[in-house]
Amino acid sequence: MIRFDNVTKVYPTQSGPALESLTMEVERGEFVFLVGPSGSGKSTFLRLVLKEDKPSDGRIRVAGKDLHRLSNWKVPHLRRRIGTVFQDFRLLPNKTVFENVAFALQVIGKSRRQISRDVPAVLDLVGLDGKQDRMPDQLSGGEQQRVAVARAFVNRPLILLADEPTGNLDPATSVGIMKLLDRINRTGTTVVMATHDQSIVDQMRKRVVQLEHGRLVRDQSRGVYGYTR
Amino acid sequence: MRFQYVLSEIVTGLRRNLTMTMAVIITVSISIALFGTGLLIRAQSDAMRGYWYDRVEISVFMCNAYTAEGNCSEGTVTDSQRDALLAELENHPEVEEVFHESQEEAYERFAEDMDDPVVDVITPDQLQESFRVALVDPDEYEGVVSAVAGLPGVQNVHDQREVLGPLFRVLDWFQNGAVVVAAIQVVAATLLIANTIRLAAFNRRRETGIMRLVGASNFYIQLPFILEAAIAGLLGSVLGAAAVFTVQEVAVGRLLAPNFTFTAWVDRSDVWGIVPWLLITGVFISALASFVTLRRYLRV
Repeated sequence: MIRFDNVTKVYPTQSGPALESLTMEVERGEFVFLVGPSGSGKSTFLRLVLKEDKPSDGRIRVAGKDLHRLSNWKVPHLRRRIGTVFQDFRLLPNKTVFENVAFALQVIGKSRRQISRDVPAVLDLVGLDGKQDRMPDQLSGGEQQRVAVARAFVNRPLILLADEPTGNLDPATSVGIMKLLDRINRTGTTVVMATHDQSIVDQMRKRVVQLEHGRLVRDQSRGVYGYTR
Repeated sequence: MRFQYVLSEIVTGLRRNLTMTMAVIITVSISIALFGTGLLIRAQSDAMRGYWYDRVEISVFMCNAYTAEGNCSEGTVTDSQRDALLAELENHPEVEEVFHESQEEAYERFAEDMDDPVVDVITPDQLQESFRVALVDPDEYEGVVSAVAGLPGVQNVHDQREVLGPLFRVLDWFQNGAVVVAAIQVVAATLLIANTIRLAAFNRRRETGIMRLVGASNFYIQLPFILEAAIAGLLGSVLGAAAVFTVQEVAVGRLLAPNFTFTAWVDRSDVWGIVPWLLITGVFISALASFVTLRRYLRV
């Protein structure tokens, strides 16, 4: 589903490469934790998958597409097959829960009928039924992140990328979000989650890929966090 | 394409950016008004040219008993001199038609034109007989003038274009001046629009960031901004066009046309003729400026 072949990414303003000769593959339906200290290349990895950046060297394939050969105007179509969740939720503060999720469908031109069918279904899935008319500032952090997950998942993407989704949440709420991501993973969606959250990685016992200075230092199925901060 | 979404985005954007939107509207309206005035002056110039060129002729005045200048050393023009002159004119390729005006006819016209006591003390023999020459192409007058100016019995060759020349030069000058100022204003408007759109894009970076993330196409992301600029440009050019109407109404309709009836003046239909160009220009520069700006600030 995601395949990196000898990928190097150098940012012109930084001294060392953000990623160096990274080769790894994520299979369809897998759940992968991306761990490593800040600046180890986790966010670069996610940006490259979304083609927000181009690699300096190497090949990347995502959802069967060679990103090197994917023309710019087709990038939006790639992103429609990838859902993304961030640490800071990135909700629109002046829209309700329903509107925030519907927004993702509106802007890719889905019909009103499809929106009124899919949005309540996904809100139900993430456990926010009955809260669709709330504004984001009336929700707890965990609930806001559920809205963000609903928005990322409403278009049924092949891949869900999560960049420290529990970074702003307390441990109990984090467990709830992880259960949700796990449930989404069980629908066949590939999940890649960058995280610093040791206890979550240790509890989930999923594949762990560890990066350091842009290099892959560990790739372990059913792994643990494995290093102390 | 969800029309309602695009519409609400535009309204939000215009309202959020009210002061900058006003600035865009005003700048566009001024540049469009100047541009329109330039076009109006050109239309005026054309109207005058059309009016006058139909009437422009070369007058070849012949000697009478009183003339001393030119080739009049032999006194009043003789029949043979007149015939030779007529033959020369009629054989010239640039000559369309030749009319003869006798001294009596010149006197009648003089009396008609002047309507003044001075007519009573003038007698026909004091006036000059002349050939009035219409040209195939009024611009090609010099050949005809030089062909007959040196012939005996010709006192003076008078080309009416020479009288109109300075007037057209002034009109050209005004027209070019208005267009140059309009061009400078268009540059200012373009920069202002670019800046306004950049600000609008910055204000809505949260929305556009999410749109990019969920795979909205570039076109869909940029459309509200471009339409926003186009609407501001349209409002500005409507105001500018209104200013051009006012110029025509006040400057031409009330001041110039009633007092200077010797020529044709631009009327309201001429303004209607340039209005589409003003609107197209206003909308086009706004949309183009925002499109170019967005290419830099809202990349995939």
